[in-house]
Amino acid sequence: MLLAVLIANSDGNILVERFNGVPGEERLHWRSFLVKLGADNLKGVKNEELLVACHKSVYIVYTVLGHVSIYLVGKDEYDELALSEAIFVVTSAIKDVCGKPPTERLFLDKYGRICLCLDEIVWKGLLENTDKDRIKRLIRLKPPTEF
Amino acid sequence: MADASGKTWIDLVNSDQKSAPAPSSTTAHASRSQFKKSAMPTMTMGDRKSKGSLLQIQNDDKKPVSYAQLAMSIHELAASSDQKKSIRELVHHVFPKLAIYNSVDPSLAPSLLMLGQQCEDRTILRYVYYYLARILSDNGAQGLTSGGGIPTPNWDALADIDAVGGVTRADVVPLIVDWLFAEARNVDAYSHTRRIQALKALTYAPSTSSEMMSKLYGIIFSILEKVSPYPSMSFTTQLLKVAEAPDMRKKGIFGASKESIIGSNLQYAALSALRRLPLDLGNPLFLHRIVQGISFSDPVAVRHALEMTFELATKDPYAVAMALGKLVQPGGALEDVLHSHDVLARVSLARLCHTISRAKSLNERPDIKSQFNTLLYQLLTDPSDTVCFEAITCALGKYDNSDRMEVRALGWYNLTREFLKVPYKTDKSSKKKCPQLLIKLVMRRLKTSFRSSSRPVLHAAARVVQEMGKSRAAACALGLLNIEGDAVDTFSRSNDWDHGTSESEEHEDTVRSLLVSLLEVVRTTVACECVYVRAMVIKALIWMQSPNESFDELELLIASEISDPSWSATLLNDVLLTLHARFKATPDMAVILLEIARIFATKVPGKIDADVLQLLWKTCLVGAGPEGKHTALEAVTLVLDLPPPQPGSMSGLTSINRVSASDPKSALALQRLVQAAVWFLGENANYAASEYAWESATPPGTALMMLDADKMVPAASSRNRTLVSALTRLQRCTFSGSWEVRITAAQALTTIAIRSGEPYRLQIYEFLHALAHGGVKYKLLDMHISNGEDQGASGSGLGSLLSPALKVLDEMYRAQDELRNEMRNHDNAKREWADEELKKLYETHESLLNLVSLFCYVPRAKYLPLGPTSAKLIDIYRKKHKVSAFIGLNDPAIATGISELIYEATKQPPAVEPETFDDDLVNAWAAGLADDGFWGNNTPAMNRVNEFLSGSGTDAPDVDDQNIFSKPSSDDMWAKTLLEPSELDDDESSSSSSPGSVGSAETSASSRFGGLNYPSLFSSKSQPKEPSARPYGTTTGSSFYGSPIREEPTPYSLPSRKSYESFENPLGGTESEYGYHDDGRSSSGTIEFGTALYDFTAGGDDEMSLVTGEELEIEYEVDGWFHVKKVRPGWDGKMAGLVPVLYVTRS
Repeated sequence: MLLAVLIANSDGNILVERFNGVPGEERLHWRSFLVKLGADNLKGVKNEELLVACHKSVYIVYTVLGHVSIYLVGKDEYDELALSEAIFVVTSAIKDVCGKPPTERLFLDKYGRICLCLDEIVWKGLLENTDKDRIKRLIRLKPPTEF
Repeated sequence: MADASGKTWIDLVNSDQKSAPAPSSTTAHASRSQFKKSAMPTMTMGDRKSKGSLLQIQNDDKKPVSYAQLAMSIHELAASSDQKKSIRELVHHVFPKLAIYNSVDPSLAPSLLMLGQQCEDRTILRYVYYYLARILSDNGAQGLTSGGGIPTPNWDALADIDAVGGVTRADVVPLIVDWLFAEARNVDAYSHTRRIQALKALTYAPSTSSEMMSKLYGIIFSILEKVSPYPSMSFTTQLLKVAEAPDMRKKGIFGASKESIIGSNLQYAALSALRRLPLDLGNPLFLHRIVQGISFSDPVAVRHALEMTFELATKDPYAVAMALGKLVQPGGALEDVLHSHDVLARVSLARLCHTISRAKSLNERPDIKSQFNTLLYQLLTDPSDTVCFEAITCALGKYDNSDRMEVRALGWYNLTREFLKVPYKTDKSSKKKCPQLLIKLVMRRLKTSFRSSSRPVLHAAARVVQEMGKSRAAACALGLLNIEGDAVDTFSRSNDWDHGTSESEEHEDTVRSLLVSLLEVVRTTVACECVYVRAMVIKALIWMQSPNESFDELELLIASEISDPSWSATLLNDVLLTLHARFKATPDMAVILLEIARIFATKVPGKIDADVLQLLWKTCLVGAGPEGKHTALEAVTLVLDLPPPQPGSMSGLTSINRVSASDPKSALALQRLVQAAVWFLGENANYAASEYAWESATPPGTALMMLDADKMVPAASSRNRTLVSALTRLQRCTFSGSWEVRITAAQALTTIAIRSGEPYRLQIYEFLHALAHGGVKYKLLDMHISNGEDQGASGSGLGSLLSPALKVLDEMYRAQDELRNEMRNHDNAKREWADEELKKLYETHESLLNLVSLFCYVPRAKYLPLGPTSAKLIDIYRKKHKVSAFIGLNDPAIATGISELIYEATKQPPAVEPETFDDDLVNAWAAGLADDGFWGNNTPAMNRVNEFLSGSGTDAPDVDDQNIFSKPSSDDMWAKTLLEPSELDDDESSSSSSPGSVGSAETSASSRFGGLNYPSLFSSKSQPKEPSARPYGTTTGSSFYGSPIREEPTPYSLPSRKSYESFENPLGGTESEYGYHDDGRSSSGTIEFGTALYDFTAGGDDEMSLVTGEELEIEYEVDGWFHVKKVRPGWDGKMAGLVPVLYVTRS
């Protein structure tokens, strides 16, 4: 299960979050934990360089892209490597939508489309589409495979 | 921080402050109240905006973006959605901005539905489906699904500006669902993309209504039916057809025509939706449709089909294997998956193959099992690390928390012996088709991975090594390891596949040497700067450590690693728990693990969970077996011999034999651990030394001959070095160390004195006597290194503590003397013992027993305070009067004399328990094993260990030792933190308190050591009346511990969509687990009340002032402080806060 996808700005404000199967009362702790993790480790990290953490049997893979940091939390089949696959899809979708590693402003400008992309990438805690073109088509309500 | 981000956010919410109304309106609706909370932070953010940002907003000339305005725009624009301008406005402005709010309120649904019905624009429609899905997914149970971004202002306020005002979710959900169903049923080929999105949105609908679910299943199955290759045939015939004609799959069925692509897209939609619905177990049609999906052309659909097949296979592998039929054969659909681009599909394939190839229900079909096994082995050469590692862990026998020791052992056995009989494709240099020994393949792959610079890959590789260690430990426990040395030789001899081509050095390769070279590579990985990777590497090394190899290297590595301040407490405790798991798998390693645990005690006392550490001590001591007991006790208590940390010295960081406590907090924790070690020594020395007064045959008189101290010690030492070294340590501790340690040491000595036979008792008696009068101090002073503390002017200062203990010993010796005299008199006069005399003797025995029991636990049935010679007489009296050895004279039946009447009548003495009460048994239940084994008690530490071993721990993490509520950065965690100041105060004070005062240490000394919270081999939690207790000997067998290697399976239990009970409130949980509690009240949840004993003035924000006599509700204890709530506010207006434990008395 992909427990959470979380995107924050460099100050630790949560821009986007998608929790799956995490009770409401635990989300605050996950947010704080992830933001702190980012604050401690993401300084000076290159774009898209993957960092890893784990808490009990939950895995966390996170990275920085432009001015935003992206965190993925998963367990079971979503181990650190599967999360790396997923985070790669997320980062490339964001880059595609924004045209470059986004600044916070750019990210907010494209917020709607980023949400649609995320909707196509993660669906109820499971990774769905991983192909860039397919995602691009689906967010325009085009068929996943064109005739 | 807030300002920097505030600008951009405020750009988007500029008019919020004006439009978002005050959050004071009240409704009882739960989800609404949640929104009311979240409305406030928005306003706070608005308040914070600076003039500069306001100017910027005006210059930007942005359109209104408050939630209310956006909502209104949607209503207006929906009515005019046929106009291009409206469409543009919706696509570029309204919908993207609306997404920024973290949820969508139901009053928008009518307008969204109107847009869905009337609008043709694809982008608008896509947004409509997105928002409708979000409305559906907001289920009441968890409150609203927030999506990050800005909290949506409360809905009540929106109601008056809203044309349809007062719309609730319950009103709109049926409307939305109906519309989506209509869309999903639309067979028009041109709108099949809308079908896809409608099906997707429907999976977010609440699954409580069975009618809705059956409708949804109906639609999905009708799609799968229509697009299946043979729609007119029955499904079994279809299955046969597909299986028989593999070529028809993919291209053949649909060709590349438009219909086929539409069909494929719908297949994707149907399977994706099906994947999100509960599995219909036992339904052959369901299984058939899913298995059919593996042959679909859409890669995502194939992946979902495989994932579902895997989940079904875990429940019913036989049915699935039969359904898969020929798909597994060479050229079948499953082989196609090997070459698919979808990594997760291949991961699912590995899991599926593993499940079926290990299924017991398929034992009669070895052909099927081997087909799946071959497929699994082929995945070992997969180019993707994700797939390869999954295949390795599957091959090793791990896939969920139910893995058993045999499966693990078999996994290791197979991996070290079997070959991959297909060309090793990735190795281009060797063109020959030579079979590869799996273990070599795996090792090579892992070594390559350890050279990777990607941290997730390193972490995963270390995890795989850890899994390997677990399987190896299981194989070792089952005696399969001895084949390790010659596995490859056997291969080269028996292999006729490519005989003669194997290179000569390969013959010498053994699994062992492969492992050694792998571990070399693993060790170098600790250089990784990521502490999580390092933790995983250390865990892997702990698992790979075998009991008969030297562990110096591991010890050094751990010692140098954990001194690094970047290690968090959670990680260190995780490693500590790994030691527990390792011990359960291989009890022989008890001593090694204790040595390793000692490093944690000395290096990072402040960070580790002391309770868990002590539980480890206890279990390892018991597990060490009769031979290892001495070493085990030494390993624990060696810490007492180490020189105390020198202030400011950093030299201890890397050496194992130095104690480091760099800050006051860890110094305090260290002291507490030393105290615990002293206590542990006192409680368990007799067990480790196998020296019990009730087993000692030495008559008391013999000891008198050794009264000369010079002779006594060597004489005793030659008899039992374990006990003597324990005594020496404790004697030293009564002088060195802090006051608390000295008290504990004195108590420990008393315990040993009471439990040991002669000459030890006399030796301790003499020592304590001298100590009470301050006599020995100068004699022993040179034996220790002073830590600089003033030892006090008069002796040890322990006089008042020691006098009761000495009194008991005095009484015992006096009674023994009297008994000796009496016996002599009787012997001289050759006279029988009269009943009266026996009664008097027995009463003395009983009263002494009662007295002794006040100090420590002794087995009443066997303990003889009057010495071994009294045994006969006591026994005579007991038999005569039918006195139960357990209850003694306290038995009301005895006291009233009824017992003699009753028992006389039955003739048969009652089942005398002492008879079943052999020596082993005493030790066993003394070790706390009698009733519930190692792991059954409910101390917090046990829970922690059990939780870890069963892998049930994925609660949200605590932010290490940091008060997440009081962090300045947390003011942007808008939703919760800024809400209720009073609540915040509580939390703030609760988590930031760790004042290291002497008071707190004293409290812990009195409250913890006095109680039975510590794991003790003599813990009186053991039930002496439990005749079914297992003898000690059986406890070392690993079978006793249950399934040994279950370290980290699934906490959120994957296949079944259970609710996630394992998710507990982590902060609360952590406190109850890590905090220092009094006996038994830790997590019980009962409210305790207390009264202030003295006036107390708060010294910080967290603390609260007290006035003598105030009534308090004690919430919990942490580090010597109570967090209490007052019944009514105090003079300073505070209701809750921290107060020192000593200032409060519990009522």
